[in-house]
Amino acid sequence: MIELRGLTKQFGDFKAVDDLSLKINTGEFFGLLGPNGAGKTTIISMISTVLLPSSGEVFIDGHKLDRKASEQKRKLCVITQEYSMRQDMTMDEVMQYQGKLYYLPAKVIREKSDELLEFTGLKEFRKRTVRHLSGGMKRKLMICRALLVEPEILLLDEPTAGMDALSRRQMWNLLRQVNNQNMTIILTTHYMEEAQTLCDRVALLNRGRLQKLNTPAELIREQGAFAVDEVSEEGMSTYYFNDKEEAFQFLKNTDKQAFFRATTLEDVFIEGAGRRLE
Amino acid sequence: MGVLTVLWEKWVEFRRDFYKITVAAIISPVMYLIIFGLGIQTTSHGVPYLNFLIPGVVAMATMTGSFSAVAQSMSVQRLYEKALDQVMISPTPLWQFILGQVLGGSLRGMYAAGLILLLTCPIQTGLSYNGLSFLIMFLNGMVFSTIAVVLSFLAKSYSDAPRYTSYIIMPMSFLCNTFFSTDQMPAGFRQVISLLPLSQSCDMIRKIAHGEHPGFFGFMVLGLYLAVFGLMAILFIYKKKNL
Repeated sequence: MIELRGLTKQFGDFKAVDDLSLKINTGEFFGLLGPNGAGKTTIISMISTVLLPSSGEVFIDGHKLDRKASEQKRKLCVITQEYSMRQDMTMDEVMQYQGKLYYLPAKVIREKSDELLEFTGLKEFRKRTVRHLSGGMKRKLMICRALLVEPEILLLDEPTAGMDALSRRQMWNLLRQVNNQNMTIILTTHYMEEAQTLCDRVALLNRGRLQKLNTPAELIREQGAFAVDEVSEEGMSTYYFNDKEEAFQFLKNTDKQAFFRATTLEDVFIEGAGRRLE
Repeated sequence: MGVLTVLWEKWVEFRRDFYKITVAAIISPVMYLIIFGLGIQTTSHGVPYLNFLIPGVVAMATMTGSFSAVAQSMSVQRLYEKALDQVMISPTPLWQFILGQVLGGSLRGMYAAGLILLLTCPIQTGLSYNGLSFLIMFLNGMVFSTIAVVLSFLAKSYSDAPRYTSYIIMPMSFLCNTFFSTDQMPAGFRQVISLLPLSQSCDMIRKIAHGEHPGFFGFMVLGLYLAVFGLMAILFIYKKKNL
């Protein structure tokens, strides 16, 4: 279990994360959602110890996490938003370096690398340096690198950013598979569909503070399970209903162009974090 | 174990950039030897100037080789590639990462010094080197690798690494007992320059090369620099909030 206790990060006058307390269960697929600048990446960076909190603490299975905590860090792996790899290393070298940093035997590194690079379709490019890979290939390589060490906790900071639709779906399947093997996953994403599909629970953040915390289904229910988009000259307004009949009644009564649909996590996000930004 | 991983990473870098590293390591020292040693032929302290110059250039090569091997690479990894994050997150103890960088950097300095020694071998100078000379070269390399680690943590952009070279390495190259003895400097300034690590390394390697005992003071000075900057590097990597 991961526990964040009063986690705060301040950069000068700017508070990127403000007194965040959360518990993430073992094997849970947990989403951190929020607009740009909500503090998602800062939280991931603090959990991965790249940044140290201004105050507050992170615990993994009851043990405090800091840069000295090798035992706790062994359980963690992160896929950062940026391509955090030596640009002049080949794919093979990137995998070897990662394996060595996690004390894996050479044979395991070789076999597991083969398997992962094959699975992601990168095997034929294994001698190519990172500098000469496309954005999507780099992203896949980062995933291979993370999965090589079979972490108990995987931190994903916008892992599908820049991926095409097909690659994204493949990635979702892969993440589901590893999550089914009891791997705890913390995901930050801008794609609400991704969070809704994958996450057991999501935390909605805004300006470093926790706004909402629940399952996607429950957040949608709180918003109203059914939505009607009404289009007028001023723009589009969305109305939410928990009762389908009520939504249909609204649709009948309106003299403007209107569409009925199911509410999504994106609606929750827009109505919550989005409106606060305006 | 973590130290070996970093040394492996340094080896990968060395193997890939072998020609670039080799040319960069010898080009400046060779130019200095040609211009000051062979071009402007003179004597110093009653011996050919080249005999004074070679030990200084060897010490300087360990400094520049070690510093550049760590400063540039670490700054780029930390600020541009973000590859340092991979190490920070891993279970490899961070002190081992620092030690690996320092040893790897020092070995690169030794490689640069070794090349200069090989190139100057055919010149009949009568200078001699022994195990202690190589220990001093290695120690000097460790000091400058450690300084490079600290400066790479302080760098705010990757263009800072070349600036550090201009502010620290270049002045030391010329002032610290390499091309002329610090004895000729004005009092006050002389004492300060004499306490810099390169001055001590040059002095000790030169003494051994001329068959004298290097003394212990130089080792103490190098040890002190190594301890202070090593401690700073460890503190930065464990305690710096925004690495």
